[in-house]
Amino acid sequence: MKSFLRVPALLAVVAPAFVMFAAPARAQDPAPAEPKKEDGKKDDAKVEDKWVAVVGGDIHAGTGEVLKGATILGKNGKIHAIGYDLDIPKDAKVHDVSGLRVYPGLVAISSQGLLGNAMAEFDDTIDPFSTRMVLGLAAGITTTGVGGSAVKLKRFSVDGAVVNERAYTVMSWSGRNPRTKSELREKFADAARYIREQREWERKSKEEKDLPEPKKSGIDGGVLSVLRGETQAKFNASDRDDLLGIARLAQEYGFRPIIDGCQEGWTVADELGRAGARVVLTARDRRSKDEQQSAAGGTSIENAAILHKSGCMVAVTPPTEGVDLGGLEGRDIRMLTIEAGFAVRGGLPERAALEAITIVPARMMGISHRVGSLEVGKDFDLLVTDGDLLHYATYVQWAFVDGRMVYDKEKELYYAHIRPRPVAEKKLDAGETAESKPADEPKTEGDKKDGDKKDGEDDEQKKEGDKDDGEKKDGEKKDGEKKEDKPGEKQD
Amino acid sequence: MEHSSTTARATDSGSERSGSPTPTTMKTCTTIALAVALAAPSFAGETLAIRVGRAETVSHGVVEHAVILVEDGKIAIVGEDLPVERGIPVLDRPEWTVVPGFVNCYSRLGCDSEGGDDNSPDVKAIDELWPKSPAYKEVVEHGVTTLSLYPAGNGISGQSVTIRPLGATAEEMVLKDGQYVKMVVRSDSPSKRRITDAFKKVAEYDEKVVKAREKFDKDKKGGSKKDEKADDKKSDEKKAFDPAAQEAKSDDKKDEKKDDGFVPPQPDEKLRPWLEMRVGAKRGLVAMSQASDWLHFQDALGKNELAYDLRLVLQRESDLYHVFEKKTNELDVDGIGDKKLRCVVEPTLTVAAGTLRTRNLPHELHRSGAKVVFIPRNDSLGDHQQWRSNVGEVVSAGLPADVALRAMTLEAAEVAGVADLVGSIEKGKHANLVFLTGAPFEASTKIAAVMLDGEFVHGEVYQ
Repeated sequence: MKSFLRVPALLAVVAPAFVMFAAPARAQDPAPAEPKKEDGKKDDAKVEDKWVAVVGGDIHAGTGEVLKGATILGKNGKIHAIGYDLDIPKDAKVHDVSGLRVYPGLVAISSQGLLGNAMAEFDDTIDPFSTRMVLGLAAGITTTGVGGSAVKLKRFSVDGAVVNERAYTVMSWSGRNPRTKSELREKFADAARYIREQREWERKSKEEKDLPEPKKSGIDGGVLSVLRGETQAKFNASDRDDLLGIARLAQEYGFRPIIDGCQEGWTVADELGRAGARVVLTARDRRSKDEQQSAAGGTSIENAAILHKSGCMVAVTPPTEGVDLGGLEGRDIRMLTIEAGFAVRGGLPERAALEAITIVPARMMGISHRVGSLEVGKDFDLLVTDGDLLHYATYVQWAFVDGRMVYDKEKELYYAHIRPRPVAEKKLDAGETAESKPADEPKTEGDKKDGDKKDGEDDEQKKEGDKDDGEKKDGEKKDGEKKEDKPGEKQD
Repeated sequence: MEHSSTTARATDSGSERSGSPTPTTMKTCTTIALAVALAAPSFAGETLAIRVGRAETVSHGVVEHAVILVEDGKIAIVGEDLPVERGIPVLDRPEWTVVPGFVNCYSRLGCDSEGGDDNSPDVKAIDELWPKSPAYKEVVEHGVTTLSLYPAGNGISGQSVTIRPLGATAEEMVLKDGQYVKMVVRSDSPSKRRITDAFKKVAEYDEKVVKAREKFDKDKKGGSKKDEKADDKKSDEKKAFDPAAQEAKSDDKKDEKKDDGFVPPQPDEKLRPWLEMRVGAKRGLVAMSQASDWLHFQDALGKNELAYDLRLVLQRESDLYHVFEKKTNELDVDGIGDKKLRCVVEPTLTVAAGTLRTRNLPHELHRSGAKVVFIPRNDSLGDHQQWRSNVGEVVSAGLPADVALRAMTLEAAEVAGVADLVGSIEKGKHANLVFLTGAPFEASTKIAAVMLDGEFVHGEVYQ
């Protein structure tokens, strides 16, 4: 597992080099150039650090570690520290999540509709007030691939939502349309030749200055950037022979393909593993075997588990990419965790299943240096849940993106009435009594019986330590914020 | 049904009285500004005192037992129980309440052309003004005494024209040409690019002016005149950037020429409105329909200067309330209310998305600090007729009645650029008055009479 993790770590180092950040020279009013720069500097100086702390939850970092009752501290949208007994700045927004779990925000490798009607150019089209974005966050999704870009579900703002504008290039390789295969082979051959010639020219041109640069015309830009490691190649393939072909192409040219579908992947898992394939699959896909084939084929419930075992990175995605509000419930993009559950059912280890909806899709999109796990320096994108993330009864209670709370189950329309939030348990030191309760406790006190755990422990003798006292104040503060939030809704 | 019969009668009486408003005087008028002053001629020279139970002046609160003296189509004086000089005819209607004539500042009434996604800030609605449209006469009966028309289109469609809805010729009707430039902003790249590109061009023009200035100074120095002062240069440049100064003060410009002689390069016609909007000589009227549009608009605008009002399209499940206030919604940018913008909205109640909970967005706008401006729900004649009762619904749902009345009159006149002429009952303004049988937003209240520029154009006044 460790060696497995090292590769992505390398990737993460490389990634910032080619990640295309969202706001280049565009729009930023070209008017008076000089004073503007000064303004910018002043603004930077004025901006105060924004602190946020999620305190007391069991932190499932997504890297394998679980820190029980720990604190995660965010600064200006990034994770500043994770651990115990952290110094929390006074002006931090503190959220007490004792008794709840903390997970990294989920990454949907591909979705539709979560950003409003936006289809492309997401900086200009994202709708941060879209109800579907709220539904996506309620499902735990904080980052999504859409139209080849990786974008965050950032509410209340249109700035900086795009994490990687060109996360992958889609390529075609299909036995059902054989021409695609030969064409792609040619493109790779041409691009590889071009790179060789280019290197040769760079080497020689130091001595011979008149040497003409090799011509770039006719070279496929997408393929070229894949070979240079600037973007990822994504294929849509499920047939065994296609998977084999892609694996061989990838080994020949030394890139790691993303393979979407991969239904028969379990039959050629070794080859795919050797090619370093990254697989996006739907664990509950069903497809019968082609009876004309003698070898094994069709789908297997073990597909994810087998591919994982053979060294492929496995991401899962539900059967449909949109937010389905009609028809059958349980198949759309909001079911990421359920889909991961199906993979677990087929033998995938739970940890790999969690990674299949967090860090793995993040790596595939070249954004694992920012999202996908809870590590210091990464974006403060996390979920607070009332139970095991992969359990069907679990709800996301809060979701944070870039350090800002963007979803609160109790406040949004959709699930507030279902299984009210369990009351936070206070750990009390001996000899202390809890005279006053945190401000937000009375509200949920009555609901406590509905809470899923720790019903047995009584609240008769609640005591609060010095530290908890501080938290209590913060709790009050938090409640105040709640009241301020969206007064419009109470106006009617 | 009853209402329609009264309007029918009213049309007759209205048309009889208004007749043709003395075309002879019009011939002498050369400029639009003059036309405004003389546009209400049939009452010219006549004086009438109107005594009513209550006058809601909008600008100066409510006056009980009000007397309004109308002279030459203008309001000469308003006051409580004023003595009326002998010889001046008095219209005594103690059962009436009078309010300013309504101003619909966002309309396509009587215009038929269609527009696309054009970027044409130079197009003018005045060019498609058709005085013979029967629609104008009808809206007057519903109390609408001022209209602002805009060019059709979903891009930057062009400049408005504000009119009095009666007149034989376009000149007779026009109160103000080119007050606002209507533009639609959506959450998409093309509409954002229209704005960013415009400001790029503005910046290019600024550079051009600076270069021209430098060249001019150089030439001048070459001509062995070194009496330039740095201060002068700066102020001149400012003038050069200010097209309002260029246009309005063409006489002053001659004087400038004597001083200095520098003439800034002419901006092209598509650029000129942007230069004017930058200094507030014109205003943008930015139409948007969802909350994200506001954020994208602010993003496109950046730190550029632009004078603008908003047209917020309130759809049934409008989510615009997300961007009224920065603080409560955790926005990165100021909200609409924080900027105290004027917002043109239809008087309608909406619901919170996905629910049946009503929201009173006009009221929420008002409370957030924005200035509400009402227009009829649609541009149909029926909606003009329903306008006051639709506003009444919003009032009964919580919006203060005085704010609502202001939104139909003075605040709308601000958007239309004629707040100095109409929109309130005060001395010197046009005598555009709507006489009601009761409180403005009571369901049972009817329009008894309408006066436009001192002349009764609707209602049976002299029985």
